[in-house]
Amino acid sequence: VRVTDRLVFHTATLETGRARDAAQQAQELVSRGTRIQHPGDDPAGSGLMVTFNMSSERFAAISSAAAAASDELSAADGALDGIGTALSRARELAVQLSNSTYSAEQRAGGALEVTSLMTQIVSNLNTRFGNRYLFGGNEDGSPPFDATVDPTDPTFGNYLGDDGVRQVEIAPGVLQQANVLVGSMSADSADPTSVLKTLQALQAALQANDPAAVQATLDGLDDGIKQVSTARSQAGASMNAFDTATSAAKTASGDDKTRANKQGDVDLVESSIQLQATQTALQASLAATAQSFKLSLLDYLR
Amino acid sequence: MANLLSILSGAQTSLAAQRAVTATASHNIDNANNAGYSRQTASLEALTPAEQVNGAFIGRGATLGTVTQARDRFLEAQIPQALGDAAFSTAQADALQAFHGLDPEAVGGLGPAISGFYSSLRALAQNPSDSGLRSSFLGAANALAQTFNRTSQTIESSRSGLDAQAGGLVGEINSEAAAVAQLNVQVQQARASGAEPNDLLDLRQGHLDKLAELAGATTVATSEGYVNVVLKGGVALVAGARAGELSVQPDDAPPRDGHLGLLLRQADGTGPVSLSNAAVGGSLGGTLFARDGLGGTLSSSDGSLRAAGASVDQLAFDLASGVNATHQLGYGVGLYESTTGLDLLATGAPGVVAGAARNMAVLITDTDSLAMASAPGAPGDAGNAQLLVATESAPLSGGKDVQSTVSDAVSQFGSFSASAKAFADQDGAVKDQLSKMRDSYSGVSIDEEMITMQSAQRAYEAIAKVIQTTDQMMQTLLAIKT
Repeated sequence: VRVTDRLVFHTATLETGRARDAAQQAQELVSRGTRIQHPGDDPAGSGLMVTFNMSSERFAAISSAAAAASDELSAADGALDGIGTALSRARELAVQLSNSTYSAEQRAGGALEVTSLMTQIVSNLNTRFGNRYLFGGNEDGSPPFDATVDPTDPTFGNYLGDDGVRQVEIAPGVLQQANVLVGSMSADSADPTSVLKTLQALQAALQANDPAAVQATLDGLDDGIKQVSTARSQAGASMNAFDTATSAAKTASGDDKTRANKQGDVDLVESSIQLQATQTALQASLAATAQSFKLSLLDYLR
Repeated sequence: MANLLSILSGAQTSLAAQRAVTATASHNIDNANNAGYSRQTASLEALTPAEQVNGAFIGRGATLGTVTQARDRFLEAQIPQALGDAAFSTAQADALQAFHGLDPEAVGGLGPAISGFYSSLRALAQNPSDSGLRSSFLGAANALAQTFNRTSQTIESSRSGLDAQAGGLVGEINSEAAAVAQLNVQVQQARASGAEPNDLLDLRQGHLDKLAELAGATTVATSEGYVNVVLKGGVALVAGARAGELSVQPDDAPPRDGHLGLLLRQADGTGPVSLSNAAVGGSLGGTLFARDGLGGTLSSSDGSLRAAGASVDQLAFDLASGVNATHQLGYGVGLYESTTGLDLLATGAPGVVAGAARNMAVLITDTDSLAMASAPGAPGDAGNAQLLVATESAPLSGGKDVQSTVSDAVSQFGSFSASAKAFADQDGAVKDQLSKMRDSYSGVSIDEEMITMQSAQRAYEAIAKVIQTTDQMMQTLLAIKT
């Protein structure tokens, strides 16, 4: 190769430019901490980053919705616990006051307490969590059990909701029931031994001082306690599903976020070595270039 | 006596020849850093006819023969193509690298906006009667629409930026073409004297190289001594002493879609005729390719900004269509509890994909009309909300779900951008290598020129000594006579 001055300077410009560019890129990589800024930096990695980030967001949303559903079910379980306690007290009163040794006044006092228990149960059935009523099915904007009339009115505790099953996603495309349907406990239920019908019968029997009629409500009360227990079991099972989903989706979200970051994050050890190597190469290139400029016949001709 | 005078006369001619050698070396040194300059060599010749004395030929000194350029025609024939290719791929790569609308971690990018839309929808599906969640979802839907609008605008503004670049390049090309036509005339006139106008040839070559870079133009030498310049499509930009003129004007037809198209008033004065993007190469061709791609029907091998815009439009259209089809099935709450058949998202004219991203808008303003219920009069019913959530996993027109479609759009654009960058590096390396070879062959070596000057100086001194000696000889002869 014939070495001309333009060749020397052209080569110096190109080679020092390349060395400086490589050093600059290595420095930016270390400073920035991410190796993918533009899709062209790593097309496949960029696509995976998008996929993992979107998947992470999806699981985070599923986790959040499942946690909210679990919180609602927890509140529903608390309300059902209160209903169960009230029913147990009503059963105690029924067992006690069905005994013929009690007077009419004592049974009238019992009737008053049963009325109070009915009010408490309807209040529990109208439990609100946030802005929604938990036991109205899809009619969650207003109290699902009628509490607008006197507790002694036969329509007290009539069901105003529907039998809509609310479902929430626990995994992509997988739904889990998120509400408990207790319309069958209402005063207007088709079930003759519904919780509120039985309590109405108990209240009437006590008021009428009829021990036999009081005795007759025991089976209904047992059935009601069983209904509450079944509803709590269902709520508990759903809660478990949502708690598991919350945890699993949170983990999946974190894993996907980690995978996304892994695609884009710089290997600091490798990039630091690369930075050192490119800086050394730049120094060598500059030194060699400077040296090549020094060697000219001009320096020796006098 | 006559012989002595002949020696003096020969010495005078020889001194002039050495001055020409020195002047040529000086000219070479002066142009050592001139990128388009080819070193020149002054060749000396013995002065003829030689003087015949007593049957012997005695020489009469040296004279300047020719001043030639060092040019490797084979090498130079490869350079325009290399310059054009490198400029094309560099322009394409730079244009694609400068577009950040599909960056994987862009704040406010398509991926986060779509995720945000479905996350809000999931929260609403858990409690569809919550007015706060309904407002939040409507906000996410608006953010989604705005993100599509912004992405589309970013692509369009990138294409418009390339319009401005193309306009500038066209101006430069016209200026270079006019210079070549003018130099064609000057070269032809200079050649009439019988000598090669080396510096004019260098100057013309510089403009031809520039045209190769700007437009991928190639050259055809004519028997008249002109160099004609031909564009990629075979159309002459310069024909002898006349140059054509490129211009730009908006073109509504695909693939330009309202961006600037090319017109050429031809070198013979006819036209202007419309040129396709493929008719030019170099920086202008690369710029137009990055802007519009292959042209006509979009294909998967089209890595242009137009293709990126089309994929975003298709995504917007498919997403909105899927969401609307499901949203229409549902019912709202309050005053809208019996209302059904409402669309959620608009994408411009019905059934039209082009411009869907730019035109995307949320049609619903009252949160009560968001159709989350699958039956009328059931505010807590999230049946339709869950169906809307399911659209996230439903296949779009490309057969993949929205997540994979966004991912593919990003990857595909990235692949083309990376390929363009790789081609630019490769073509740049070829160009650099050829340029270095040309520098090696045609460039000036200061060392060589200094040696040439030293050589000429020595010769000049020696010839001066010849004159001095001849003068002394003449003095001796004159002294005998007196």
